[in-house]
Amino acid sequence: MRGRNRGPSPLPERAARLWRSLGAAFVILVFVPPLLLLVSGSLTEPGLPPSPTPQLVPDPVSTAGYERALDLGGLLRASLNSVLVAVVAVPLSVLVASLAGFALARLAPRTTAVVVAASLVALMVPPTALLVPRFAIFRFLGLTDTLVPLIAPALLGTSPLYVLVYYLAFRALPADLYDACQVEDLSPVRTWWQVALPLVRPVTAGLTALTFILTWSNFLDPLIYVYDRDLFTLPLALRSLSLLDPTNFPVFLAGAVIATLPALGVFVLAQRRFLHDHSDPRE
Amino acid sequence: MSAGSEAGPRAPGTGAGSPAGPDARSRRQLALMLAPYLAGLVGLVLLPALVTLALAFTHYDLVRPPAWAGFDNFTALVEDPIFRIALTNTVVFAVVAVPLRVLLALGLALLLHRRTPGAGTARAAALLPTAVPEIAYGLLWLWLLNPLYGPINQVLRVGGENGLTALGRTPPQWLTDPTDARAAIILVSLFTMGETFVVLLAARRALPRDVYEMAAIEDATGWDVFRRITLPLMAPVLALLALRDAIASLHFTFVSAFVVTDGGPPPYATTYLSLFVYQTGFEYLRYGYAAAATLVMMVLTLAAVLVQWRLVRRYRRFYPR
Amino acid sequence: MSEAGLVLDGVSAAYRTETVLHEVDLAVARGELLVVLGPSGAGKSTVLRVAAGLEPVTAGRVRIAGRDVTDQRPGLRNVSMVFQSYALFPHLTVAENIAFGLEVRDTPHRVARERARAAAETVGCAGLLDRRPGQLSGGERQRVALARALVREPDVFLLDEPLSNLDLALRVEMRAELRALHDRLGATMVHVTHDQTEALVLADRIAVLRDGRIEQVGTPEEIWRTPATVFVARFVGSPAMNLLPAGGPLQPAGDPPALPVEAQIGFRPEAVNLDTGHGAPAIVDRIEVVGEDAYVYLTLEGGKPVVARVPTTRRPDRGAAVRVGVRWTDTHVFDATSGRRLAP
Repeated sequence: MRGRNRGPSPLPERAARLWRSLGAAFVILVFVPPLLLLVSGSLTEPGLPPSPTPQLVPDPVSTAGYERALDLGGLLRASLNSVLVAVVAVPLSVLVASLAGFALARLAPRTTAVVVAASLVALMVPPTALLVPRFAIFRFLGLTDTLVPLIAPALLGTSPLYVLVYYLAFRALPADLYDACQVEDLSPVRTWWQVALPLVRPVTAGLTALTFILTWSNFLDPLIYVYDRDLFTLPLALRSLSLLDPTNFPVFLAGAVIATLPALGVFVLAQRRFLHDHSDPRE
Repeated sequence: MSAGSEAGPRAPGTGAGSPAGPDARSRRQLALMLAPYLAGLVGLVLLPALVTLALAFTHYDLVRPPAWAGFDNFTALVEDPIFRIALTNTVVFAVVAVPLRVLLALGLALLLHRRTPGAGTARAAALLPTAVPEIAYGLLWLWLLNPLYGPINQVLRVGGENGLTALGRTPPQWLTDPTDARAAIILVSLFTMGETFVVLLAARRALPRDVYEMAAIEDATGWDVFRRITLPLMAPVLALLALRDAIASLHFTFVSAFVVTDGGPPPYATTYLSLFVYQTGFEYLRYGYAAAATLVMMVLTLAAVLVQWRLVRRYRRFYPR
Repeated sequence: MSEAGLVLDGVSAAYRTETVLHEVDLAVARGELLVVLGPSGAGKSTVLRVAAGLEPVTAGRVRIAGRDVTDQRPGLRNVSMVFQSYALFPHLTVAENIAFGLEVRDTPHRVARERARAAAETVGCAGLLDRRPGQLSGGERQRVALARALVREPDVFLLDEPLSNLDLALRVEMRAELRALHDRLGATMVHVTHDQTEALVLADRIAVLRDGRIEQVGTPEEIWRTPATVFVARFVGSPAMNLLPAGGPLQPAGDPPALPVEAQIGFRPEAVNLDTGHGAPAIVDRIEVVGEDAYVYLTLEGGKPVVARVPTTRRPDRGAAVRVGVRWTDTHVFDATSGRRLAP
C-alpha cells in the first residue's frame, strides 16, 4: 500500500507486508526453477548416465545438445518457417481484429449484438473440437500441406476474444470524439487509422504480443496440416525430438530453449503493460 | 462491479442521437472493415461446427466420399471402452484441475496485487510458464518427470537409498503408473494458469479501495473481508473464468497427454477426449467417428455453459447491475 | 474547552516521500462539529485518514476520547467514517450495509438488524432497507452511509466531503439535515470540505488548512470577521477579499491604526462604497449581475484590481469612471511579508 515512508508506522501493516513479501518469494521459488532447470538441462552433455543427485549447474557445461538439436531436428529450417508464418499472420491478425473491433463499436447496435454473440459462441468452442471439420474444409480446398492453414486463424484475429477486446477499447473512447470526426467528415477508415487506433496503442501492443506468442507456439495446426518436413514449424520440429531416448534429454531441452526464447522475449517486453503497479494519487 | 459510481456505462460510440450511426457510405465502409473477421468467424468456426454435425452421421475416411451412417457412430461410441475412459478422464480432469487452477490463480492474485517488495517479480514469475510454447513446456516436463533422469525424482530420492525416498518409499512413477500420470498432467496444468491470474489480478485491483478502508474501520478480520467483500465482489469474474477454464481444459490436456504421457500409461490412463479425437481422426482416419466424439465434446461444453449461465443468473438476482 | 473528543498533537504525515501534514495540532471538543476547510491538496483528507488510522503518522500522537490511539489499528479506534464516494458495499442490501460493522464484531444477527433499522430511521432511509446501493440515488446513498456511520455509536464521526457528490439543491438540504442530526445526537464530528459556504453554515468551529499546516482555528464568525492570515481572508468569502498595499492609491476613510511600513490592507467587496463621491478614482472593467447583487470589477489608477458588491439597481455602467470608498472599520491589516493579521 502506501507505507513507503520512513519513521514509526503504527499500523500492523508492516507485519502484513513482510508476510506478503515472503509469499512473493515463495511464488518465485515455485515458478522459476522449472525454467532454470530447462536451461541447465539443455547445457548438459548428452548421452551421460543419470546423475544420482540433482544438479543445478551441469558438469561439464556443454553446448553439444544445441548442436545436435539443430542437426537432428532441422531446427533452422523450421525456425525460418515459424518466422515466416509469424511475419504474415501476426500483423494480419492484429489488423483484422482492430478493423473488426472498430466496426463493431460504430455499427448499429443490433448488428453489433449479433456479431458479439456469435463471437462469444465461437469462444466457447474448444479448438480441438474443430480439428476434424477444419481439416476436411482445408483438404477440400487443397490447402493441406501448405502454410496457409497456419496463417488462416489470423482472419479470426487469432481469437475472437481479441476482437472483443478491441471492440471494448474503441467503445470506451468518448462518444464526442466520434461525433467530432463525423462533423469533420472523416471516413470510418480514416477515423480508425488517424484517431482511434493511436488512442488504444497499449491495447495494440498487448494484443500483438499475445498474438505473436499464440502463433509462435501453435502446435496443433502444424501437426495436422503439414507433413512435408521442409514446411515444419518449430513446435512441430520439436516434436520429433521428443521421440529421442531419455539419455538425450539435453538435445530436446536445447530445442525447447530455442523455441521458448522468442516467445519469452516478447512476453518480457509486453508484461510491463499489464503487470505494472498503479500508483494511487490521493487528494 | 463499480461500487456505487453514479456514471452509468458509457454510451456506445455511435452517439445518443444517431442509433444507426453514420450515413450509407460510412456504413458500407464499416461493413467492409468487419468483413474479413466475419469470413473468418463463419469459415473457421461456425461452418466447421456445422460440418462436424453433418460428419458425425457419416462414415468418412477422406478417400471415399462420406457415406450416411445414421446413428452408427454414436452407438459405437457408447460401446467403445476407450471412448468411455477418455470421457471419464476428461470430466475428472475438469472437475479436479479447473477448481485447483482457479483457486491457485485467485490465491496468487490476492497475494500479489499489492505493491510489496518482490511482488512484481513474483507476478512475472507466475506468468512465465504461460508464455512458454506448449510443446517446449511438454518437453520440459517429459524430462522433469522422467523416473530415472528427471530432477523431480532426483530431489525426492535425496537422503534415501537404492532409489527410494528418504521415507523408504518408491518415488512416484509419473509416466508409468496410471494414478501418478494423471496427477502429473494436473500438476503440469497448474503452472499455466497465467491468463486466469492476470484477469483476477486486474479484477482485484479494480475493486474500490475505500470499501476496504471502510472494512478496516469496522475492524473486520481478514477472513471476514475475504468472505463478505472480496469473494462476493469477484464472484462474477470467478464464475466466468471457471467456465472458460472448463472449456479450455478440453484442449490444454492435449499437448501434455500427447507429448508427455502419449495417452498412457496403459490402459489409456491419460487419454482425454481431445487426444481421442485426434487419434481416431488423424491416426486411424475414422473422421466420421471422430466427428461424433467431437460432437459429444461440444455438448459437454454446452452443458458447462448452461450450468454456469444458470449460476450467474441466480447470482444476478442478488446483485443487480 | 470541554473534554476533548479527538486530539491531534503535533501530527505529521507523509505520502510516499512527500510530507503532507506538518505538525498539526488540533483539538475537537466532545460533542463539537469541527469543519476542516481548505483547497484541494491541502491535506484535509489526510487529517481524517490519520485520525481513523488509515494513514500512519510520521510524528506526533492521536488521542480519541482520552485514549492514545496512535499505535492502534483502525478497527480498535471506535471511529466511523463517511467516505466521499460513500464506500457502500455494492453486493449487500442497505440493511446489510448498515449492520456490517456490527456483524463483523459478532453482534447477534437480530440485534444488529434492529439497530440498523433504528439508525436508518434516524437518517430517514428506513424505507430503503431491502434495496441495494446500485438502486439508490445519490442522496439516498448519502443517507445510508450516514446510517452506517452512526449505527455503532462511535466516539468520533469522520466525514470526508460527504456532500460533494450531490447536486446543489440536495447539498443545501443535506447540509441542514446533517447539522440537525449533529444537534440531535450530540456527537463529535469532524467534517472535511473545500466549500466555504458549507463550512460557515455547518461548523461549530472551522479549522482552515493550507499546504498541510493549520492557518486558523475559530468559530465561523471569527474566521469571517478576523481572518488570521491573508490566505484565510481570501479563501473564505466570494468574491474574495480585496487586497491592496497599505500606502497605495486607496486610503480608507476614518482614523487609521498604527501601521508598519510593509502592510497590506484587505476589505470585502461588500465594504466597498461607490456612491460616496470621494475615494480613489477607478474605471469599471466589467460587471456580473447575480440577481439582486452585482459584482463590479474595477481597476484603480496604477492598475490594481478591486471588486465591489453593489445592489443591481445601482450598478454603474461598464467603462464608467467611479470613486472607490472604504472605511477603516471595515478594513483588515496584514503584514505584507508573513501575511499574518496585524490589526484591528
